[in-house]
Amino acid sequence: MGVLSAIARTLRPAPAVAALTAGALALSACGGSSLDQSGGGESGGPVKIGLLIPLSGVYAPLGQDMRDGFTLYLDQHGGKLGGREAEVVSADEGEGPQTGVPAAQKLVSQDRTTAVVGVVNSATALGLRDFFTESKQPLLVANAGADAITAGRKSDYVWRTSFANGKVGAALGPAVAKEAEGGVYLIAADYAAGREMVAGFRKAFEAAGGKVAGEKYTPFGKTQDYQPYLSAIRSSGAKAVYAFYAGAEAVSFVKQYKQFGLSDEIDLYGTGFLTEGDVLKAQGQAAVGTKTSLHYSAELDTPRNKEFVAAYQKAFNEPPTVYSVQAYDAAAALDKALAKTKGAGGQKLAEALGEVGPIDSPRGSWTFDAAHDAQQKYYLREVRSSGGTMVNAVVSELS
Amino acid sequence: MDTYLVSVLNGLSMGSLLFAIALGLSLVFGMMDVLNLAHGAVYLAGAYVAVALAGDGTGLMAFVLAVLAAAVVGALLGGALAGLTRTTRRHLDQALLTLGVALVVAELLSLAFGDDVRSIAAPAPVDDGVKIFGATYPVYRLLVIGFGIVLAVAVYLLIERSALGSVIRATVSDRAMVSALGINTGRVLVGVFAAGAALAAAGGVLAGPILGAQPGLDEKVLLLALVVVVIGGLGSVRGALLGAVLIGQVQAVGTTLLPEFASFLIFAAMAVVLLLRPAGLLPARSAVHA
Repeated sequence: MGVLSAIARTLRPAPAVAALTAGALALSACGGSSLDQSGGGESGGPVKIGLLIPLSGVYAPLGQDMRDGFTLYLDQHGGKLGGREAEVVSADEGEGPQTGVPAAQKLVSQDRTTAVVGVVNSATALGLRDFFTESKQPLLVANAGADAITAGRKSDYVWRTSFANGKVGAALGPAVAKEAEGGVYLIAADYAAGREMVAGFRKAFEAAGGKVAGEKYTPFGKTQDYQPYLSAIRSSGAKAVYAFYAGAEAVSFVKQYKQFGLSDEIDLYGTGFLTEGDVLKAQGQAAVGTKTSLHYSAELDTPRNKEFVAAYQKAFNEPPTVYSVQAYDAAAALDKALAKTKGAGGQKLAEALGEVGPIDSPRGSWTFDAAHDAQQKYYLREVRSSGGTMVNAVVSELS
Repeated sequence: MDTYLVSVLNGLSMGSLLFAIALGLSLVFGMMDVLNLAHGAVYLAGAYVAVALAGDGTGLMAFVLAVLAAAVVGALLGGALAGLTRTTRRHLDQALLTLGVALVVAELLSLAFGDDVRSIAAPAPVDDGVKIFGATYPVYRLLVIGFGIVLAVAVYLLIERSALGSVIRATVSDRAMVSALGINTGRVLVGVFAAGAALAAAGGVLAGPILGAQPGLDEKVLLLALVVVVIGGLGSVRGALLGAVLIGQVQAVGTTLLPEFASFLIFAAMAVVLLLRPAGLLPARSAVHA
């Protein structure tokens, strides 16, 4: 049933894509002389960027935010990347590799993109690493967090503008070790991301002298009722909880945490995805007081971020999320790298990505590190009610 | 010990919801021989009715109104499904037809309400918690248990004790004979289909404060309902009740006792039942009994 519905959702027409394709046809007709559709040439024509984001399925809200972030960067820079007219082709990543991998292959081989940006799902990103390496085309991962996408098994062609799961968790470890007045219970969805988020946290937390009161993984995508786990947390005598959930599970977990009265007695910590974007809207009042670590919050009090939030709010009528910023920054990194290569793609572009230097991002300045990950600050955020709407207020910087 | 008692209580509230949802699926299969794969979509339509009418915490009246509105939407969907499935007698055709309807309904809901996770607040006077066994327990879930008990009694009286119930049972045993008595059997069957779908949609509202509403929930709920029907036995009200309570307990208490195996527990329970009683625990006999 899941597969069938995925097919059905993929069949949904995407007017934006059609419009872009029409625009692309018009542009190449105007160009007249340009037969070079590989995007790898230095002929001065437009560069074609593939946007591989979920347009359907459970991750569709993230895909929407990423597209908005990427679009905003282009709008703010005259529709150009590296001095060339940027032409964006979207493809639907869907929910997993079975839809995401073919979509990426279509972008690279059929649409002949110069680079691809996006990828929400870690399994999809892992499945694509070798494909992009073999195709000699850069992939800018703008969300998928699996530790193995970069670092030890990094590819020259794969760069990540988002985060590595372990690092987001690790950033929070020492802070919780300091604040918690007793054992901390670790709970996460039972899949790679959940385990990496917990492992990263646990290592930093125990190194800082924290004590673990229990550790539990809940079936991913199958758990609707958290009461048995919440009871276990209560009877463990833990003084605080560290949780990783995202999407619908984050909503259920946080709401039930409140309904069963745990939020009055046991502090809730987590990685930022627990309370980010639309998830927070659905949690509402139940999320108040939850503390999370993330490399961005729309509440960040810097001139750069305020200007970004205002522009984003004006364009899309909602505050930006971490997902929008990750895609926005991918566009910024591409902009710099393409300026260096004068529009050339392939190996030159992949190398240029390593030399783009600091990116002036709404999240604060960051650079690509040796592992091809974003070297960035993490923030401790707390959910507060601001005039009826919930926001992730920035408490402090985490080192 | 208290932990387990809370889990038992919680299992009962999940069981009540599952009973409301699975009952229609079971009766429609048992009586009309139609496997309705659109049942989960009907449930989700009900959940989104709640999002539209009672999304951000409303009074009890608005919530009851949402339940009734969802029941009407469900009944209309059920009636339409009954009409569609009567065009063919082959199981595979019916399964594909209802699956198609499920996909269309889910897609329409996603277009209308977006792909975001939506939550539904419990109505105002019962959105708090009470202390039970030394821990806070949401009052709303207690009400759900009460609803399940009332529903079970009402359905028992309707099917087993009322004139309409005897017509329904007779229609299943021998449709030709009932027609010969001057009763429009087609209408009885459509009525049962619509009532079952109305219950599923109302279940979508009632489960809203616990499960919320989001794309994909329809498939999860359909799967749970199918497990309940298989365990309980097709076409029997008592079977659906037993299956729902059992699955509710297996999920709640089982997860407390054996958290490592949480994702297999209900399927393990189903496998055991199928091994020992292939027709389910309380299958309908030749005629439908409550």
